[in-house]
Amino acid sequence: MTKYTTRPSGLMMPRRQVLKGIGAMTAAAAMSMPVTNRAFGQEAHPLAGRTIDMNILGIAGWLPSSLSVAMTPLFNDYVRDRYGYEVEFAFAEAPFSDLFQRAATSLATRSQEFNIIISDSQWIGALAEPGWILQLNDVIAANPGLDIDWYSQTVIDTYMAYPDGTENIWGLPQEGDTIALFIRKDMLHDEAEKAAFQEKYGMPLPQTFEDFEDLTMTDFEKVADHFNRPDEEMWGTAMQYSRVYDFVTCYLYPFMFSQGGDIWDASTGQVEGILNSDINAMAMTQMKDWLKYQPPGATNFGIAEQIDVFTTGKVFSCFQWAAVGLAMITEEMKANDQVMVVAPPKHGTGDAADRIYTMGGQPWVINAFNDEEKMRVAIDFMNWWYLPETALEFARRGGNPADRPTLTADGFDDINPWNRAYKYMLEPGRSRDFWHHPKYAEMLAVQQEAFTSYMTGQTADPMQALNYAACNQQQILFDAGSAAQSPSRSCITATL
Amino acid sequence: MAQPSSLLNDRRTLVFVLLAPVLAFFIVFNTIPTLWLLGLSFYNYSLTSGMPPEFVGFTNFVNIFFNRNGIWSDLSRTFIFVACAVSLQTLLGLMLGFLFWGSRNMPGRRIALTLLFTPMVLTPVATGTFWRFIYDPTFGALNALMGLFGATEPINFLGDPTFAYWAVLAVDCWMWTPFMTLMTLAALGSVPKAELEAAEVDRLTWFEQLRLIVWHHGKFILMLGMLLRTIDSFKTLDLIIPMTNGGPGQQTRLVAVELNKQAFQSFNMGWSSAYAVLLLLISIAMTSVFIHVLNLRRRRERS
Repeated sequence: MTKYTTRPSGLMMPRRQVLKGIGAMTAAAAMSMPVTNRAFGQEAHPLAGRTIDMNILGIAGWLPSSLSVAMTPLFNDYVRDRYGYEVEFAFAEAPFSDLFQRAATSLATRSQEFNIIISDSQWIGALAEPGWILQLNDVIAANPGLDIDWYSQTVIDTYMAYPDGTENIWGLPQEGDTIALFIRKDMLHDEAEKAAFQEKYGMPLPQTFEDFEDLTMTDFEKVADHFNRPDEEMWGTAMQYSRVYDFVTCYLYPFMFSQGGDIWDASTGQVEGILNSDINAMAMTQMKDWLKYQPPGATNFGIAEQIDVFTTGKVFSCFQWAAVGLAMITEEMKANDQVMVVAPPKHGTGDAADRIYTMGGQPWVINAFNDEEKMRVAIDFMNWWYLPETALEFARRGGNPADRPTLTADGFDDINPWNRAYKYMLEPGRSRDFWHHPKYAEMLAVQQEAFTSYMTGQTADPMQALNYAACNQQQILFDAGSAAQSPSRSCITATL
Repeated sequence: MAQPSSLLNDRRTLVFVLLAPVLAFFIVFNTIPTLWLLGLSFYNYSLTSGMPPEFVGFTNFVNIFFNRNGIWSDLSRTFIFVACAVSLQTLLGLMLGFLFWGSRNMPGRRIALTLLFTPMVLTPVATGTFWRFIYDPTFGALNALMGLFGATEPINFLGDPTFAYWAVLAVDCWMWTPFMTLMTLAALGSVPKAELEAAEVDRLTWFEQLRLIVWHHGKFILMLGMLLRTIDSFKTLDLIIPMTNGGPGQQTRLVAVELNKQAFQSFNMGWSSAYAVLLLLISIAMTSVFIHVLNLRRRRERS
């Protein structure tokens, strides 16, 4: 790993100067702080006695985002008691597909409209490259509370570092997330179902978390097939195939990654020949084949549609983000103990079988154009967010912290039904993120077109769809100066 | 009482003063942004690259015309969409307009008209969203209704490449046919009663009345309606985003969807400015054709 480097930040005032300013403010305030503060157990703070307005931009309709918002009064209590200042929070939201647009159009004007942003992990490059967000290495060095033992390197690679493989830190995990398999436990444990499955497939129906740990997609297909009963309006499973945002991409990647496929070479920017590989074409065919175990219209499925079909009892199982566990398990399901959450199956067979699923989740990023006061509050907020008691409270409310002390604390696995699966998938090598490149949105858009074109039957040949995506992505990266190679001559004929 | 300023007594000055607010508004919010757009179309400028704009001449235009992901398929899709949408909406709008024009004493006419115009006043994004649910093969009302009439398999209207384009077009027609009905009623309202009564006295056939009187008086309003719908259909975006987002694959990717993607998702401001300039030229060309057709007879009469 290379040591971290700083880059021109694009601040109205240089970042270092802002941080120095904060330091100077702290020192000045400490010397002049009234004795009363100390008498009431408050620490010296430059903002003591003040009320600061802060704006957070989060993701609309996304539970982990709203959980954080719901916890902000706790932060207010914390800073009031500890530092003697008040914060008045305001919140803005935009759906996943529009959040970057909302943030970027504001940040491009060097606005302080959003002081703290819940970004998506892949946007770190696009936010960092123009200097819109604060590089956090110096902040972490000055705040020991932010020097955290993360659960795995995957957390750092996904939510924090840009460019990939460096120690330049731009974000801190707000919500960790992985794909998990939500299952109707009541159906799985039904004695008649167990007997029927044993009779039909000559193998026992997997019952426990450990059984699913060893399960491959080939075996899980038998389970999905067993519970696939369209006549009874019940289907075996649900995945995401929607063209919206990154939905189909995140669900196709596990088929690719787990079987040895890749999407690009981050060091050279080479896509052609890597994305359009035979393994990835096979992965596309496999994912499309799974449509037969899913409700009609699954090609439009995104997160919300999956929640709908699962909570209304139309599917036996659902590959879903652990972050929306609260929405996936209704009060009624919870009361009847109807749902269990396990690790999603491995791909491939025998010793070669592996599981590498896509990482989800979002980091906090801090607006680089914050003035000194707001920057100070933002840093206090981060310090508070990663306090053990805050992280635990976040987990209790249904969120997914990503630090080792919380995840390994006694009883963490039992706080939420999906915690064990989430933690399991967060282990090194089981989940990975994809591009953090500034051209993320553009690369994603052509890929979503290509993948959905094949999944919906508009394009018959998976390799044709992959060629289209690879050629266009190669061109995008070449134009951006990130790829040494321009698209090959064969790309002239690459269409959908 | 004080006399108005002598400057305002001058008619030309007065005209200028009265026009000044509109002119200022037009220059600030129309002319300057359009010139800015034109200028930006000659630059390579990505908002997320962190690099300053780089002058590239006509490269953006060349890329648009020769890129694999280029403008041609989007344009052909868009023109078919515009032609089908405007034709259907005009035809249905004419039928409904004549129906309501010819049934002024029909009980409940006002309520029926109000209901008819409702889709037009709804937000397209909301319309797109609830039609997405209506079309849904698992929960949707349309498939449930078709099931009642014996359909065995639900149709994935928005996920199936065979249906998606036409399903979106149908919603556009549902939404905008009332507009053409309104324009038809306005056109019919502009026909002088006296001429129609004279035609009755002269025993002109219904078709002759239509051709010689109704069309003569109402064509301008009707053509204006078609022009507005053509320009509006050409820009269709907010209906498509919640329904299909341009998919499946590229099946419903119209020019405005691609422009939105390039400008506000990919932040390629130079490329998308060039694209917008081309679309602006196409819109101007279409408007000119309409105006030319509209004035054809007048020119013939003059000559």
